[in-house]
Amino acid sequence: MRLADVLAQVRRWLRPPRTLRVTRAGRTYIVLTMGIGLGALNTGNNLLYLVLGVQLATIVASGLLSEASLRGLQVRRLGADAAFAGEPFVYRWAVSRRRGTAFVLTLAETHPQLEGSATLALLRPGEEVVVRGRLLAPHRGPYALRGIRVTTTFPLGLFSKGRVLEVPGELLVYPRRIPAPRDVLPSDGGRGEQTARRFRAEGDGDTAGLRALRDGEDARRVHWLKSALGGKLLRVERDVEETRSVVLTLDVGAHGPALERSCEEVAARARALLAGGAAVGLEAGPDRLRPDQGPRHERLLLGALARAGLQEGAPR
Amino acid sequence: MTGRGAYRLRLALRDLGAASAFLAMSLSGQVPSWTAALFVATLGLALLDVRPFARHVRESALALLGSVLVLWAMVASGHMDLVVAACACAALLTAQRMLSGHGAAVDQQVALAGLLMLSGGAALSADLGFLPCLCAYTLCTSLSLALGEVERAAPAGAAPPAAPSLRAAAALTGVALVGGVLFFVAFPRLSWNLAARRGGNSFAGAVVGLGDRVRLGGSGELKSNPRIVLRAQLDPDPGVDTLGAYWVAYRFDAFDGLEWRGQARPGRPLQRLTLARGSPGALSQHIELLPAYGSRTVVAIDHPVQFSMATAQLPSYSVRTALVPVGDESVRLDGAASGFSYYASSVLRGEPASDDAATRARRLALPPRLDPRVPALARELAGNATDPAQIARRLEQRLQQRYRYTLELPGPVEDPLADFLFQRRAGHCEDFATALAILLRTLGIPTRVVTGFYGGERAASEYVLRAGDAHAWVEADVPGGVLRLDATPAENRSAASATLLGWLLRAYEALEVRWVHGVVDYSFADQVTFLRGVGSNPARKQLPAAGLPWAWAGTAATLGLLGVLLFLLLRPGPDEAQKLGDELHRLAARVGLLAKDRWLEELPSTSPAVPQQLRRAVSRYLEARFGTRPLARGERRALLSAVRDALRAPRPV
Repeated sequence: MRLADVLAQVRRWLRPPRTLRVTRAGRTYIVLTMGIGLGALNTGNNLLYLVLGVQLATIVASGLLSEASLRGLQVRRLGADAAFAGEPFVYRWAVSRRRGTAFVLTLAETHPQLEGSATLALLRPGEEVVVRGRLLAPHRGPYALRGIRVTTTFPLGLFSKGRVLEVPGELLVYPRRIPAPRDVLPSDGGRGEQTARRFRAEGDGDTAGLRALRDGEDARRVHWLKSALGGKLLRVERDVEETRSVVLTLDVGAHGPALERSCEEVAARARALLAGGAAVGLEAGPDRLRPDQGPRHERLLLGALARAGLQEGAPR
Repeated sequence: MTGRGAYRLRLALRDLGAASAFLAMSLSGQVPSWTAALFVATLGLALLDVRPFARHVRESALALLGSVLVLWAMVASGHMDLVVAACACAALLTAQRMLSGHGAAVDQQVALAGLLMLSGGAALSADLGFLPCLCAYTLCTSLSLALGEVERAAPAGAAPPAAPSLRAAAALTGVALVGGVLFFVAFPRLSWNLAARRGGNSFAGAVVGLGDRVRLGGSGELKSNPRIVLRAQLDPDPGVDTLGAYWVAYRFDAFDGLEWRGQARPGRPLQRLTLARGSPGALSQHIELLPAYGSRTVVAIDHPVQFSMATAQLPSYSVRTALVPVGDESVRLDGAASGFSYYASSVLRGEPASDDAATRARRLALPPRLDPRVPALARELAGNATDPAQIARRLEQRLQQRYRYTLELPGPVEDPLADFLFQRRAGHCEDFATALAILLRTLGIPTRVVTGFYGGERAASEYVLRAGDAHAWVEADVPGGVLRLDATPAENRSAASATLLGWLLRAYEALEVRWVHGVVDYSFADQVTFLRGVGSNPARKQLPAAGLPWAWAGTAATLGLLGVLLFLLLRPGPDEAQKLGDELHRLAARVGLLAKDRWLEELPSTSPAVPQQLRRAVSRYLEARFGTRPLARGERRALLSAVRDALRAPRPV
């Protein structure tokens, strides 16, 4: 290792990148300490010098302890189950470190538009703790996360020392949740299609009856017990459940608040339709999703709506 | 510890920290008694977790404002000192906050108000008790604030991790105190001295109060009081531990049967007062009369010939003062102050007897109602001696032999002298001195009773006198000069060592001397001496004052070392499983199987490059660390040995 590297490492060790904020009580403490210092200088009172020394040493010791809490931390994002714009959501981080106990850690994302944090009282060495906090994102869309800010006010609450851990990541925030319109099918903004096809005997619903198996029919439909009892191959006929299949269309040509409003409305319709048992698809410019059901598909729909109209590579 | 327990502990620590700060302030004895009563009541309520102001914050704040206005009015009208009023304000503010709430913000406000009280204590008092108060305040406040921080960060309803945070805060306190001492020693004392203020009376107040009269028949409390009343630096330094000197304060001629009384009138104030011609071998003394002395009569080793450079220590500053001779009886300091300092010069040879007829008549005067048995006793004790000096010595010896020393006196009696000589046959130094003086006068030998101190105990580079060293003896005018006579038995002349309490008090006073020298009077000159001493052999130092900074540095270093040792001993060490994990991590990282910032669990388990022994050891580590199967004795070593062997062997790429 070159000498310059060693020196740079020593410099980094001695002067790690930290932020320091003085709390309200800390400001009063500093003012009092300065007052005591002035009093000591004015009067020559040695006991005031002693008090001043203890005050200053307390500040230094407090800085050492807070630094000890921040060194060697490892944080990874566990993310959120679902994050909707304009409402708080639970976000999780996993914090750990190999050596030393850390106290009173507050975790927050460095993204300027993400509000909220999580607090951890104690982190023992070698232990990974999942910390949950409530964040708030103002708009939908992908948020490019660059770092996690870890701060501590331990031990005295006079100073808040922080560091930023460079952990790149992304948080996808779904459109704001609004109440679904009374008529969940759009009148013109999307392509609403209601299908009521009923293919008797080819469905997966309730049992409708038994009949003889014809040639060429799927043997998997045979009811083997009844066939054995009847002495001929009988097949089960099941009802086909009525399924509404809807493809919602989003006009990505709109801009600004109109686009946001449109996204929120389509998302509300999609959620309402999915909750009503319909299969929902989406056409948002070049992005298309086939009609489908289920929570996973709902997340795909919401994700597509979250990204709709936002240029690729220019996240929030 | 439960959440409720941590909460109670935090508040108790907070309130005890505030109480320590208040005690530091109260040591001065200047805090108004009503403030003290109010604060004690507040502390009691707070410790019982009764906080009546929590629902009446506005009303209590208004009451506080009213109190502050009253205090301000008292300062403006000259009824109260400004600093004392500020201290009382700080105490009231702290009390109001203590009874107002229990949140983290209130904790911080109580701590900051406590800091104000502590500063007030530093301004008002120079008492040794300030140091433990400062330590207690720092410790309690740090613990309380740290506990408050983790309590705030803990999930609602969950118990905060009290023990580890308290350990960390205790370590912080240790560092803060050691750092404070180092700052104190090293920070240059470049004082502007714009508003210098001297530490005032201590809490105990004055205990001696030598005056212009000595009344017989009082109680004997002084002999058991070890409070230091005088400090003296002698030049040349005798270098002995016990000086055994007579320190003169007052000389009395007139005795009316009940008390000795001064009769001379004060003379003209002088900056330098010469009583007699000095000599090349004169003993120079720099004397400091402490507040416990409680008198303005100067004291010096017998026989003083000159006094000069008197300084009065006022609450806010020191000022030069004058010396006032009071006939040939005493010398007083001009003005009132809590303490004085001055220089005195004494010669150890005897002084000539007075040949003035009026003076002789005064020193031969007998009380008007002298018991007729007294002259007869004098003649009996003198026996066949004829020389005045011989007679005086014989009477001195007889009194020492035949009379007993006691402090248990009956109080006022009609004829104290007769009571001592013929009834009780026991008394204290004033009885012995009075008896000897009057017996000698009945035989025609002029005498005076002298009050002052006997003794002198070495403390650091100086000598101290205690209240219990107060003493009385006799000077007789005999052919050839003045003869000092002391009829009190030798073993009872200086401070009596009586009870355990007395011993403790003496130990406290010895500490206080060091405190005053090492802390209260620590100066820029001491710092320079200290810096000169750094790097050189301390044993060769010429200036004794430099010993204290060395002691400070040594104490700080020892405390720091003890702190580190305690930390190393008390911190929970890694267990066997953790040691195994650390070593496995190191080995895997060294051969490039695992990045340094990755966890051991992330070791690629299917890679052929990872030896089977390493996988087994990691699996065993996880079992022992997080499972329920601890490592057997010697297992860690065996596993590590196998892993090392496997890593040394060639591995597939």
